[in-house]
Amino acid sequence: MRTRIFTFTLSIFVCAIARAELKWEQTAVELHPTPGDKEAVGHFKYQNTGSQPVRFKSVHTSCGCTAAQSQKDEVPPGEKGEITATFKIGDRTGTQVKTVTVQTDDPMNATTVLTLKAVIPQQLEINPTFVFWGQGEALKPKSIVVRASKDFPVKQLRVTSSSPDFQTKVEQTGNGQFKIDIQPRDTSRNMDATLIIQPESSTKTFYAKARVTNAAAIQ
Amino acid sequence: MRQAVILAGLALLPGIGEAIYFRGKVSWQSPIPASEMVTVDQARSWSDGAIWADARPDEEFAHDHVPGAFSLNEDRWNELLPQFLNAWSPEKRVVVYCSSQSCNASREVARRLRDEAQLKNVFVLQGGWEEWLKSRK
Repeated sequence: MRTRIFTFTLSIFVCAIARAELKWEQTAVELHPTPGDKEAVGHFKYQNTGSQPVRFKSVHTSCGCTAAQSQKDEVPPGEKGEITATFKIGDRTGTQVKTVTVQTDDPMNATTVLTLKAVIPQQLEINPTFVFWGQGEALKPKSIVVRASKDFPVKQLRVTSSSPDFQTKVEQTGNGQFKIDIQPRDTSRNMDATLIIQPESSTKTFYAKARVTNAAAIQ
Repeated sequence: MRQAVILAGLALLPGIGEAIYFRGKVSWQSPIPASEMVTVDQARSWSDGAIWADARPDEEFAHDHVPGAFSLNEDRWNELLPQFLNAWSPEKRVVVYCSSQSCNASREVARRLRDEAQLKNVFVLQGGWEEWLKSRK
């Protein structure tokens, strides 16, 4: 019995001394990309504060839009490094939270979840981005409301229809707020247009869609 | 034997504590109601009454996709949405899918279709592309 207790205590003691330990400077990063940025890159720094090397077994991201890379496969005791997470912004808007799951051979911290939060500025809020009419529906305009964010003041808005089948009218309804009225020439046949929305102060172009469908409208 | 049981019991304690502490905060819980999810069998039964949107990245769509599906990912949302809306029809249900059960892209795309384009009858495919592949075998 004594031998067993001694062996058990010794194994715990050995484990405590010869431990591998990856200490993360931070496991959550918040990024604020500026309009026009294509990527947001987060750096998750770590240090091996243990006395044993730590090996990375896998680094997985929660989304195909995020790529993560570790600089090395093995971190010797005392060494520092970082995991780089690159988030592809694309046409995403608002707050995006992506995770990177890191697995190591460190028995105390086998799995660490790193969180990358990107707050993507939304210059214009367009609601709705799609209006449609059913075939034969009354020829009445439908409206799209456009609101500029406080950080991107917009004084003028230019709206162009890709098709002469749809007419548009822009009206400013408040500070940074606009109403776009859209109306098709007729609703007897299928037709569609892309509405190109261009704020005068921005190089970024926004889009909405208008269509006459071949079904009865339920809007 | 008694020692083993005691040790196993002690080992369970932190796990039980964590389960109680993190109850309701489990990350794999679906952020959307069950009524907005659809199984592969259900979606297949809609046949021509459904339009499929593939929320995966371009490369994955190019490699393979549900027959007739439209690519609709957030990398190129502004470019892809008009193409999708050209094919959409009010009487059709929309089925959005991404790679697997754990991916989130289909939920985001479904949310944008509902909130921004104000489409109704938008569903997320349970299990995504992985589940579709299983049903194809």
